[in-house]
Amino acid sequence: MFIDVASTIESLEKEKYICSAEIATTVFLAMKMEKPVLVEGPAGVGKTELGKCVASSLGMDLIRLQCYEGLDEAKALYEWEYAKQLLYTQILKDKLSCIMENEKTLSDAVNRLSGEEDVFFSEKFLIPRPILQAVTSPRPTVLLIDEIDKSDSEFEAFLLEVLSDFQVSIPEIGTVKAAHRPFVLLTSNNAREMSDALKRRCLHLYIDYPTRELEEKIVSLKVPECGAALVAELVRAVHRIRELPMKKDPSISETLDWAKALTLLGCEVLKEDEAIRTLNFLLKYEKDIELAKKNRKEIFAH
Amino acid sequence: MPRERDEQHDIQTKFLDFTSVLKDAGVTISTVEVLDMFEAMCHVDPCDRDVFRQSLATTLVKDYTDIPVFDRCFAEFFEKKSGQKGFDFNIFLQDALNAETSGKRTGMTDEEMDRLMEEIEALVDTVIGENPEKSPQEIIKILLENPQESSSSGALGQLLFNVRSRSPEASMDTDMTGRGDRADDDDDFIEGMVRERIRRRVFEKTTGRVINKRDEYLLNRYIYRLTPEEVKEMRELIKRFGQKLKNRVSLRKKKVKRGGIDIKRTLRKNLQYGGTPFRIYRRDRKIDRPQLVVLCDISSSVSQYSRFMLLLTYTLQGLFSKVRSFAFISNMVEITPLFMEMDPERAVNSIFSDTNFTYGWGSNYGRCFTQFIREYSDSLTSKTTVLVLGDGRNNNQDPGLDSFIRITERCRNLFWLNPDRRHLWAWSDSIAELYMPYCNEMKEVRNFLDLSEFIDKLFVK
Repeated sequence: MFIDVASTIESLEKEKYICSAEIATTVFLAMKMEKPVLVEGPAGVGKTELGKCVASSLGMDLIRLQCYEGLDEAKALYEWEYAKQLLYTQILKDKLSCIMENEKTLSDAVNRLSGEEDVFFSEKFLIPRPILQAVTSPRPTVLLIDEIDKSDSEFEAFLLEVLSDFQVSIPEIGTVKAAHRPFVLLTSNNAREMSDALKRRCLHLYIDYPTRELEEKIVSLKVPECGAALVAELVRAVHRIRELPMKKDPSISETLDWAKALTLLGCEVLKEDEAIRTLNFLLKYEKDIELAKKNRKEIFAH
Repeated sequence: MPRERDEQHDIQTKFLDFTSVLKDAGVTISTVEVLDMFEAMCHVDPCDRDVFRQSLATTLVKDYTDIPVFDRCFAEFFEKKSGQKGFDFNIFLQDALNAETSGKRTGMTDEEMDRLMEEIEALVDTVIGENPEKSPQEIIKILLENPQESSSSGALGQLLFNVRSRSPEASMDTDMTGRGDRADDDDDFIEGMVRERIRRRVFEKTTGRVINKRDEYLLNRYIYRLTPEEVKEMRELIKRFGQKLKNRVSLRKKKVKRGGIDIKRTLRKNLQYGGTPFRIYRRDRKIDRPQLVVLCDISSSVSQYSRFMLLLTYTLQGLFSKVRSFAFISNMVEITPLFMEMDPERAVNSIFSDTNFTYGWGSNYGRCFTQFIREYSDSLTSKTTVLVLGDGRNNNQDPGLDSFIRITERCRNLFWLNPDRRHLWAWSDSIAELYMPYCNEMKEVRNFLDLSEFIDKLFVK
């Protein structure tokens, strides 16, 4: 458990996740208030990573649900294992006729059978999908619902029960309530707007690109072989590139790739030529690279 | 412990004031969010500015496009008051509890103090209610300097009189000697306090409204009347507004996504039931995104409109399957490549500094339409929506009506947005009315809201 905001920053740092006071505050509050968090922000700022690191720093299991178009409750909540049910009825045919032997009329037989029906709709034949797993898990878990904006709006409706009451209703069995409330993180890339009902149940966190100091810290933590001088210079260059009207701004992970590449090339300081040659680690569109080359003077100026 | 409960109440009121500032500024906040905010406050140390700010933001603001608005409200509400030193929660707390300490100084009882505060608040609220158009400074002026302008005139004097007639008795009981001086001091003190309180109350009640007003004002302002500073402000607003529009439209699109039965998928999925189609799978209906061709007159009379139109179109680019844009004065030029290379704003700027749009003198719609049909007719398909933005002032030249009709025949829809007032469409050198019968609609646009409403409507079938 995190004790306060400062200790949240510290424990996440131990998991090699450097976060701002904003991120830490929301994570800390979400834990205290037992509320889900909706994380939004540009791609590659570490939204998914946050979920993983929260799980490992709290010593909880991580259950991840990747959303996509057409994801339905059978893939997210639970599904009846029809084939297994069928197989069991086939195998138990003899047993069934044995039970039914004494019943004289058809309606007696039906009554008898419906008395046994529960067997086939029990947890034995239920495949728990990520959300039910998180709810039924005997240990506290972190449930990461990734890229919720990719799912359909119908799917959001299924989530509402889970997000507010941490329970799943299965008509044949009843309501399954969580023993330990899972820590729920939802991430979104703003492909579409979430419904108000969902937002109301969540705390909201917008993660933007980090400040220079923060990004320097991230790079030196993740790429320790990279020298301090190089870190400072390359992060400054990245920040200047983000100010240009790029098709896709370089994300943190791309900054890290660039830092790794430059270190492998044996750079100790950022040299313009080498930087230009390795720009493709940072920028993924030809147009963006050209634009960066055009502005090389400003980007690499001291 | 009644005393402590009162303090809590005072602080709660302050927080509620803040939420109403946000609401006034246009942020949607429901009761759940307010309750969450109070719960969050129990868990964090409010003296740390970042933590305090984020605790409010994370519980109250659920739409990231509202974050800039939140930041402005937060700065106005919490930081301006704490003086130049930035944020200090203790000063804020003192503010909230100010009533109590001043009560001790004036010798008024708590109830009297509470009643006074309530009276002040009621007075301020009525004056604000009566003058919805006035700025906070003007309202303070009405309240403190010339109360004749408001129907509650003299209310302040009355208020002070009441207080004065109340307080001497209180101080007389405690201290008889040297009463004259002290009474004057106290009167000044009370008057100062009342004035201060009024100022603060006006400020709190109007902060949000001022921000929202500003947005509304800009959206509703005649575009050609915008000053250069306002244009700058508009850009930020267009970004925010465009994003909201985009979110709304994309949500709407998602809802009508389901189409006919997907036989292939249904069969494959139902193999596990021995081929009996227990569960039906439907095909996703193709999202029908319009293809857009924008023709913008960029002559000086409509250039500002074209600028915003282009900015808005390209902010919403993702909603259309294809956008091609053309600019003309008397020569039609495709400007789509510009928008591919740079962000909309730079692109728009570079268009207006370019010069190869003119051929001869003034706007020439006829020549441009003919040229468009000759050179760019490949951009027109049965799925294309054409938007023309211009005032149709053709400088008495050939209207090129044949070419225009051919454009309308080759696209699905053609809409004409005209910045001129309706009664001017056939006036002087304007030939807008000549084109009008061939358009699906010719619409008068005056402000940014008209433009965005129009775009919004494109997506409703």
